[in-house]
Amino acid sequence: MIGRIGDLAIWEWFKLRRRWMLWILLAFAILFAQLAVWGSFFSYQNLRTTGGEITVPATLQSQQGRAPRTLACNDLLSADPARQPTDLDSQVLDGMRAQCRQQLATQPQRLQRAYENLTLPGSIPLALGTLQTLGLILIAVLTASAIGIDYGAGTLRSVLVQGTGRWPYLAAKLLTLVILAGLALIVATVSVVISSAIAERLAAAAAASTAAWSSAGIALWKAWLSLIPYITLTTFVTVLARSSAAGMAIGLGYYFAEQILVALLSNFFSWFANVAEYLPVHSISAWSGSTPFGGPAAPADLAHAGFVLVGYTLVLGGLAFWLFQRRDVQGATGGG
Amino acid sequence: MTEPTGGPDLVIETTGLTKRYGDVVAVDQLSLQVPRGGVFGFLGPNGSGKTTTMGMLLGLVQPTSGEARIFGDAVGRSDTLRRIGAMVESPTFYPYLSGRANLRYFQAIGRRGSPADIDRLLELVDLGKRADSKFATYSLGMKQRLGIACALLGEPDLVFLDEPTNGLDPAGVVEVRELVRDLGKGGRTIVLSSHLLAETELVCDHVAVLGKGKLIVQGNIKALLHEKDSFWLGTTDDAAAATLLATLPAVEKVATGQGELVVTAPPARAAEITRALAQAGIYVTKLVPIRHTLESFFMEITGTDPTTGRGLS
Repeated sequence: MIGRIGDLAIWEWFKLRRRWMLWILLAFAILFAQLAVWGSFFSYQNLRTTGGEITVPATLQSQQGRAPRTLACNDLLSADPARQPTDLDSQVLDGMRAQCRQQLATQPQRLQRAYENLTLPGSIPLALGTLQTLGLILIAVLTASAIGIDYGAGTLRSVLVQGTGRWPYLAAKLLTLVILAGLALIVATVSVVISSAIAERLAAAAAASTAAWSSAGIALWKAWLSLIPYITLTTFVTVLARSSAAGMAIGLGYYFAEQILVALLSNFFSWFANVAEYLPVHSISAWSGSTPFGGPAAPADLAHAGFVLVGYTLVLGGLAFWLFQRRDVQGATGGG
Repeated sequence: MTEPTGGPDLVIETTGLTKRYGDVVAVDQLSLQVPRGGVFGFLGPNGSGKTTTMGMLLGLVQPTSGEARIFGDAVGRSDTLRRIGAMVESPTFYPYLSGRANLRYFQAIGRRGSPADIDRLLELVDLGKRADSKFATYSLGMKQRLGIACALLGEPDLVFLDEPTNGLDPAGVVEVRELVRDLGKGGRTIVLSSHLLAETELVCDHVAVLGKGKLIVQGNIKALLHEKDSFWLGTTDDAAAATLLATLPAVEKVATGQGELVVTAPPARAAEITRALAQAGIYVTKLVPIRHTLESFFMEITGTDPTTGRGLS
């Protein structure tokens, strides 16, 4: 039976690789991973050339109506009068110079951290963390589309009359999606390796990264595993609604809905923070250590998060298989 | 082709097969027997339960009650399904794949024959030149022909074709008719579902007629049509002839239509009938056999239009 599922998975790949959607989603994944590397590169270069920046709020500027602006610490601390802003009060300037001196004290550590984010292997966990949010969205789109097309185009009937068996067919689809998610992460990681090597050369710094390669491997492994519950969630909704549109809508919407709900209700009811620890997106965030919306990372109780995610995967996957196995197969529902 | 493993000569046998959707009974206590070999017409107006029955026989739809066996086995088994080809309702394929890639995919997942068969089947249904175009670009007739090709993958013993001539031009209809007739030779069984009775009559050996989910009649098409053999009869005294004919065992029914007698009786007993009339001093002036078509037979037994299923006024 495992061989049969593997065989069907190979033919699922035969179909999927002919769809533009797969390659467009992969391009988005690579693009986001690259944004993490090159964002770190420009941040590092900026820190190096400016010595850090101080933002001048509009209220501290002598000319009314000016927008907030940033000033480089290297300019403020320079003895050259030409590099000093002329439109700021001297007391304000003194305060800003004091801030810059404080920043300067931690400059080597900040530079080192920024350098590790753009060079190998430290760039890999950073890029995969950045990719995490988008990865869930991309895999929801791919899963809903790959499973929903058989309902939309009505091909499920043509498939099942070939004698594939229902659960082996769904299992093959899930296996293909899980493998593709892993391969997409590997491809994105390879792109990060290449761009990090280029960025390191361009940075031309004498520093050396202290990050461990094992952290990169763990980040890749966690990122891959954290996508699996989301694949089963989207599969369940798509099978339940017999529609790729419903699968995509719930797959995408749930990610944001859970976080908004948790943020709102946790403000009103302190006990809701405990409930949130049993919700899928919160657990994915805790498991992978990613930071949704750039906010603080969820508390990393890895074992708890892992159990919650395994629970969701088993329950939602089981329900999807149960529905797929026993429901009547109708004609095309439209869409795809 | 492998020999059917079911009952002596039945490839499909259902007993009390029923499917309900809430209060709606789509198929009601259907007991069907499809003999091995030849073309079996599965007839009925739209909504009579033909597609639902096919769905149940293919394991796509769970029956509410009753039993169905194909080749003697319960329906839905993978090894049984691999001996069956099917095009149910409209042909459904992946729109972004070419016709050839679609066939390759279905052949592979069903483990049906070798890739070399695909070219042969594409030529058979006259799709060779458009085989590499995407399915989404096909006309309705081309989609229909690809559906037939897909149903023939792996030389199945039993083929379900649901309205295979939908969307075909007249030449295409004739081609499919010839194809279906050829496919039904040599031990393979074709179950042809259609509401085009004139077409069906030309190719079918056996038929089953469904109406509102119920089996109305099934049997050999020639026998069924001959059951209703009748002729126009003109005599020197129609009133006396009608009285006499009603007493003859060979005559099933005597009616009057268009001013003449309509006598329902086997043609082989015409001599016996005319002799009886002559002995009573009634002479036959006209005897014209009435040819029954499947369409007229259908309308007579169901009282409905074969396409719409509406009652005849």
